[in-house]
Amino acid sequence: MIGVISYLVFFSTIAAILAIAVLGLNLQWGNTGLFNGGVVASFGAGAYGTLILGGTPQDGHWGGFELYYPLALLGGMIFAGVLAWVVGKLTLRLRHDYLAIATFGVAVAFENVMRNATTVTGGAQGIRGFERPLQSLIGSGFTYNLMFLIAVLTCLALVYVFLERLTVSPFGRLLRAIREDETAARSLGKSPDKVRLAAFVTGSVIIGLAGSLYGTFYAFVSPQDVLPILTFQIWAMLIVGGAGNNKGAMAGAFLIWGSWTFSGWALSRFAPVEVQLYTGSIQFVLIGMVIVGMLLWRPQGLFPERLVVSQPGGGSRGKTQAEGLT
Amino acid sequence: MIQHLVDGILVGSFLSLGAIGLTMAMHILRFANFSHAELLSIGAYCALVFDKLFESLLPILAAKIGPLSMTGALAISIVLSMAITGLSAVLIDRFIFQRVRQKGEELSMVFASFGMALIIRNIIGLVFGLSAELYSKDIAFAMILSRDPLLLVKPDQVFVLIAALILMFALHLVLSRTTFGFSLRAVAENPSLAQVHGVNLKRMIAAVWIIGGGLGAVAGIFYGLSYQITPVMGRDLVLPIFAATIVGGIGSVYGAVLGGFIVGIASNLALVILPSGYSPSVPFLMILAVLLVRPNGLFGEARA
Amino acid sequence: MKKALVFAAVAAGMTTLSTGVQAQDCTTKIGAALPTSVDWGRPIAEVAQFAVDQVNEAGGAGGCSIEMVLRDTQVDPKVGVDAAKALVDLEGIKVLLGAVSSGVSMPILTSVTVPAGVMQMSCCSSSTAFTKLSEEGKTNGLWFRTFATTGVQSAMGAKVAADKGWKSVAILYKNDDWGQDMSRLIAADFAAAGIEVTANVAINDAQPSYRAEVTEALTSQPDALYLALYPTEGKSAVREWISLGGTQNMILANSLKSDEFRDSVGLQYLGNALGTDTASPRVESADAFKAAYEAKFGSQPNGPGLANSYDAAMIALLAMEAAGKDASGADIAAAVAKVTDPNGTAITADTAGFKAAKTTLAEGGTVMYQGATGNVRFDANGDVSAPAVVWKFTDSGTEEVEYLSLTEVDAFIASLKK
Repeated sequence: MIGVISYLVFFSTIAAILAIAVLGLNLQWGNTGLFNGGVVASFGAGAYGTLILGGTPQDGHWGGFELYYPLALLGGMIFAGVLAWVVGKLTLRLRHDYLAIATFGVAVAFENVMRNATTVTGGAQGIRGFERPLQSLIGSGFTYNLMFLIAVLTCLALVYVFLERLTVSPFGRLLRAIREDETAARSLGKSPDKVRLAAFVTGSVIIGLAGSLYGTFYAFVSPQDVLPILTFQIWAMLIVGGAGNNKGAMAGAFLIWGSWTFSGWALSRFAPVEVQLYTGSIQFVLIGMVIVGMLLWRPQGLFPERLVVSQPGGGSRGKTQAEGLT
Repeated sequence: MIQHLVDGILVGSFLSLGAIGLTMAMHILRFANFSHAELLSIGAYCALVFDKLFESLLPILAAKIGPLSMTGALAISIVLSMAITGLSAVLIDRFIFQRVRQKGEELSMVFASFGMALIIRNIIGLVFGLSAELYSKDIAFAMILSRDPLLLVKPDQVFVLIAALILMFALHLVLSRTTFGFSLRAVAENPSLAQVHGVNLKRMIAAVWIIGGGLGAVAGIFYGLSYQITPVMGRDLVLPIFAATIVGGIGSVYGAVLGGFIVGIASNLALVILPSGYSPSVPFLMILAVLLVRPNGLFGEARA
Repeated sequence: MKKALVFAAVAAGMTTLSTGVQAQDCTTKIGAALPTSVDWGRPIAEVAQFAVDQVNEAGGAGGCSIEMVLRDTQVDPKVGVDAAKALVDLEGIKVLLGAVSSGVSMPILTSVTVPAGVMQMSCCSSSTAFTKLSEEGKTNGLWFRTFATTGVQSAMGAKVAADKGWKSVAILYKNDDWGQDMSRLIAADFAAAGIEVTANVAINDAQPSYRAEVTEALTSQPDALYLALYPTEGKSAVREWISLGGTQNMILANSLKSDEFRDSVGLQYLGNALGTDTASPRVESADAFKAAYEAKFGSQPNGPGLANSYDAAMIALLAMEAAGKDASGADIAAAVAKVTDPNGTAITADTAGFKAAKTTLAEGGTVMYQGATGNVRFDANGDVSAPAVVWKFTDSGTEEVEYLSLTEVDAFIASLKK
């Protein structure tokens, strides 16, 4: 029983960290309609930034400034934000699929730099971080994990409240206005480019925060943490949870990460020994089926966006699609 | 330098073949199909099965054709594999993509395709094993065209390039000279209007998948002939193919052809400037560079 | 000593007849977090399961039969760490085998096994960061790896080139933590041995073609090619290399000691290819693993990490036996020294050896495990060193060309340092 609780605490920590990242993506896609295919670049920037700033000096690569932890955390977020600003300046004027591929490319390039710039980032060996904050005080056992979970949940709650406020604020309305009809927004004297960039950077800073917490928790980050599969995982969480709905985004994170890990556990538990070796491939097939099945069954996600726009007849969002092929 | 350029053109030939199908599907169905490269895997493995089958049934077919590592058995397998791959593309669309399309939006399709890619790739891994396969274990030696500067070309590559160009030309004729080609363009421009004019939309979509699947199968087989066949070859190829499509401009078949060659050449030439560790980034740097100058790719047109 | 071995084996056989039945009454779980969804990862898991099967044949370890619970890491640190945590918390394991990549093993170590006091034994993680972590006292002695330091491999590579009189070498290396380490070390060793490195080219995973990389190495026109690659990209790159008329003088790291690689490149092109590896000791019994493996899988145990994975599982299980029933992870980790004691009774790497070890340990003795990778001996940081061999491919597998004892290896490394 203790084991189950201990595992659930651990599981929830990672799920909550991923949920923060999903919230960040929800601001970009759900509220602003920016198809960010490079989520992992912001996530990685946060993790690498924090570990480089807060880490102990290491032979062979740069970094190890041993900054006070909150400063390192902040530094990671700023790093993610700056990267997003540069990327956004270059790519945000592109159309959906072009934007997705361009940002995806940025993420691949980011991983490449982390892997190859050995003197800065430790290369493929990765960066060892620092002892987790307050660990010397609490020890590294269950109590610590519980405290860390509480800290992460606090961050998640803060981000959630911030985004909920933002959504109902005039800025949030502006974001949706631009998403729905850019020309109309422009005719009202708004500057869509600036607003979009602001949303993109804010979302990336939030994703960066998730990355920072992730790096802190594992006290380690390597190029393997910033592979495109993470982008896919975070997107799947948002799609399943329901784009545009912050509660859905969080639920999606727990659900997808839960089924991802549960399928592995169930296969190792119940599959016969001869099949055990194939569980890796079987698990990927199952994950694929869950996603495809979800899209067939409930494409708007478990918690669809509640349109707050006071307009009779509901959202015009479906209409833009209807112009396409239905 | 010249060697890198020539290699790039040769690599570009199968990227182009893959990109043609992708660009057509993206144009008509309006979604980024991440499972497109899995059609290459299906094609390559299909041909592998038939190849082994024919070789054991009719040993005479196992003989190599001229200086190529291609056999008669493989040549027949290509045709069969094209048909089967095209058919499976249609079936995947009928059973999965079509239903998602009716219910969801553009992004649902992107994700459904991602999920399908995972499923197809791992089923192939379960059936055929995870290690790489080869059509022929012999190594075909390169011909030395010039010693200084060093220039080497493999007979297989020349064949692949010529065959790819012939296929592209055939497709060009179909698209520009036949009623079918016009209908296809009409559908791409405006699906509802095309339907009003009596174009059978369903049949057109099926045709796009058959063309895409068929060309994809050829690309996969040519890739396998030049390198090796693995269950994850789709994963390795999907990004360069996307790059080719985007550089060329979504919807433009000629753009896709050109994009394939540009990406192939760029990835090869990049090593002259960049350390080899950075080579996976090159296709994306290409995309970024092209999109900054032309936001819809080289031949793409703006579309709301 | 041989007599003692036989005696021990017989005695063990007899005792297990009486205790063997009892041993099946309970089951102890051990965990394995390995990348079974990757081509080279699946055999690594298979061979670990094979070791467990052999131990169960010998009556289990620590008085119970052993069940290995295998989880896939998908080479994704998040997934691997979660799998390890589930194994520790839900299955109650005290011993974890894995992971393969350092990028997965490291977060498992820092966030799961060390806090929970579980022993972690990796077959293949090569990063030097583990040694540093251990030196700082942050692994609590719970970390081990059977991967001999890359230093031995690279020094042997330089020796082969020097002995063959190859004056210039181009390097192709896998662009991961192990490959980057290898490329740096081998380049330094070649330089120390007075051999020119004409090109040092990274081979990235999951690239459709390695033509450009190979051309890059080819234009530097070296006497020989050094390959620090895995079979998947190795065969692709080498086929390309040979078809473009590159030299067939090749030096291979032990990861290419693989039938898959030999078959798809073709033996006729590998006549001048020499490999390096860590070695089994020079005793008759040392081929036990090889023989048992061939009987089970029908081929030689050639492939990246196979021998290491087998040793990791065996040593962990021997340590469990030595630590006794219901031992904690720390107890088991402490018992590793008892089963890899250079002064202990030598035992072979198979069922009989495990039975022999049981007897010796029951009598309060210590054993020296003569494993698939050699007389494995861990230093204070959980690293191993080993003797070395130079090998080449043959029809049936591989064949030894030259053997160097641990002292000879050390002497050669020292000569490079001058």
